[in-house]
Amino acid sequence: MSKCTYLEALKKALYEEMYRDENVIAYGEDITRYGFGVNKGLVDKFGKERIRNTPISEGAIIGTAVGAAMRGMRPVVEIMFADFIMVGMDQILNQAAKISYLSNGEWSVPMVIRTPEGSRWFGGGAQHSQTVHSMFINIPGIKIVTPSDANDAKGLLKSAIRDNNPVLFFEHKQLYFKECEVPEEEYLLPLGKASIKREGNDITVVATSWMVAHCLNVAEELKNRVDIEVIDPRTLRPLDKETIINSVKKTGRLLVVDESPVTGGIHAEIISAVTEKEDTFRCIKCPPKRIGSLDTPIPFSESLEREVIPTKEKIKKEIMNIFSKQTYK
Amino acid sequence: MDYEQEIRMFKTMSRIRTLEDILEKLFREGRLNGHLHTYHGQEAIATGVMEALSEKDIIFSNHRNHGHFLARGTSPISIISECYGKVTGTNKGRSGSMYLSDKKRGMAVASGVVGGNICVATGSALASQIKEDKAVTVSFFGDGATNIGFFHESLNMAAIWNLPIIYICENNHYGAATKKEEHQKIKRISERAAAYGMPGFTIDGTDVIKVYKKTKQAVEKARNGWGPVLIEFLVYRLRGHSAGDLGVYRPEGEQDEWKELHDPIKKYKKELIEKKIINLKEIKKIEVEAQKEINKAVNFALNSDFPTADTVSEYVYQEEKANE
Repeated sequence: MSKCTYLEALKKALYEEMYRDENVIAYGEDITRYGFGVNKGLVDKFGKERIRNTPISEGAIIGTAVGAAMRGMRPVVEIMFADFIMVGMDQILNQAAKISYLSNGEWSVPMVIRTPEGSRWFGGGAQHSQTVHSMFINIPGIKIVTPSDANDAKGLLKSAIRDNNPVLFFEHKQLYFKECEVPEEEYLLPLGKASIKREGNDITVVATSWMVAHCLNVAEELKNRVDIEVIDPRTLRPLDKETIINSVKKTGRLLVVDESPVTGGIHAEIISAVTEKEDTFRCIKCPPKRIGSLDTPIPFSESLEREVIPTKEKIKKEIMNIFSKQTYK
Repeated sequence: MDYEQEIRMFKTMSRIRTLEDILEKLFREGRLNGHLHTYHGQEAIATGVMEALSEKDIIFSNHRNHGHFLARGTSPISIISECYGKVTGTNKGRSGSMYLSDKKRGMAVASGVVGGNICVATGSALASQIKEDKAVTVSFFGDGATNIGFFHESLNMAAIWNLPIIYICENNHYGAATKKEEHQKIKRISERAAAYGMPGFTIDGTDVIKVYKKTKQAVEKARNGWGPVLIEFLVYRLRGHSAGDLGVYRPEGEQDEWKELHDPIKKYKKELIEKKIINLKEIKKIEVEAQKEINKAVNFALNSDFPTADTVSEYVYQEEKANE
């Protein structure tokens, strides 16, 4: 094990997979010279044929990745900010997600779209700070990954590249320079398997991406009062409902924390997965709760942005509220 | 161009016309569901283009795709079965008329979103460039599709990267019900090629020999590293946008004029007879055979099964298999 940042972990994953399989290629806007730098330096090793800078054309970046994947490549394309992915949305919804199904598996689309999302990055504001992953939950045919630390980022990106389906890989800007212990030797983490980040008996907190760190901090701060279990689903499609359900059966309480705007977000999907099951429903001791961003665009001023996004303080307050209500069984 | 090739091309055009006549009839009688966009009047394009391609080339088609698939060798049985939603169809009933697919013949999943797969086709050419497999990709779309952003993004990227792709615009003068003059200011769509730094040509798309020759030239260039080309084939949709559309928004006489003067099949018949490649009797024989073949395919489709409900979730995701 050694300490490694999320950014370095992603770079290593990409490096290892490009080294292992010559069909892995990477391209996007200014990827060799600008931005967060996951692809920086790779061109020296793998050359300009496999690592390319593109025009500002999100539709073509995503669309060409679909076509290259159909022809045996494993493209790992980058969208500079997740907000821009919507420019190429049609290529995800109507092409990438449909091709395997429509052709009865004859054609497949083994591609990855990597993109940074989330708030609190030098005030990106309304079009550079959104958390958009929940919008993709409604698309059968794609997979969605939201790694919360360097270890997961590396193992999940490697699996995403080897997966034979289109994978949307949402990185969080706040996490790029966070370090954690990462194994020296090669490892893969399966898509569709949640990670129990902290075991506890009183409440299940399902958190994604940057929110995992907040929830772990809150769990530590409240440890003498409440025993919190923190689960990171790691992939939102497929969603590991089983791990979440088993946890709620044990704790009887559920809080979901995700940075997407709360209306129509992944929060509701997770809560439904738990409450629609007869046996789990009967184990629930109090109404499940969710914390997401407010239903507003992300404002620029820090004083406003803080108000919109989920913070450690809001999470702590919600958990305290849940346990102060003595009316529940 | 030898005799055999010319007769083969005539047969293909004749088979496409017959297929579309019969599908249109079935649709209008209420026996076919879905959206049906027939290829009447454009047969020379699919025929000439496919004749110019080699086996390893890859084709991305659109909603008006039956002609492309038939000309590439997909059987009428599987095309008609697909239109009926039968398990014997090209896509085992998952597509219907609009999204046919036939990987064995290099036919990608066609796009029902206008212009939706121009970028995807461009990516296929990128794969060929990296793999150096010498395959050329062809992207088919209509005049309407040249107004969507994906067209612009694709041609720009293909030009920068010098990709082996032929962009084929079948300019049938209408984007659904909107006349070309109302949907773009430029006269020739091929003029747009200059904006991307690639060659552009406008060719009579009702002349199968011209289609074949121009495509052949472009394909050989692309195959040898000369980069992308935009070819605009001028043609006329001898029907409405789809089989339920009678095309009443078009000026009176316009369709009749094209039918009289520019029906690609009528023209080619005349040419073949003049060149003494084939006589009227032989032509009749080809047409009767096409009729028989397509009728037989309809019967086959009618007698085929619908896909069973237990297969509905298959291949939403791929498990082990990926493209080699």
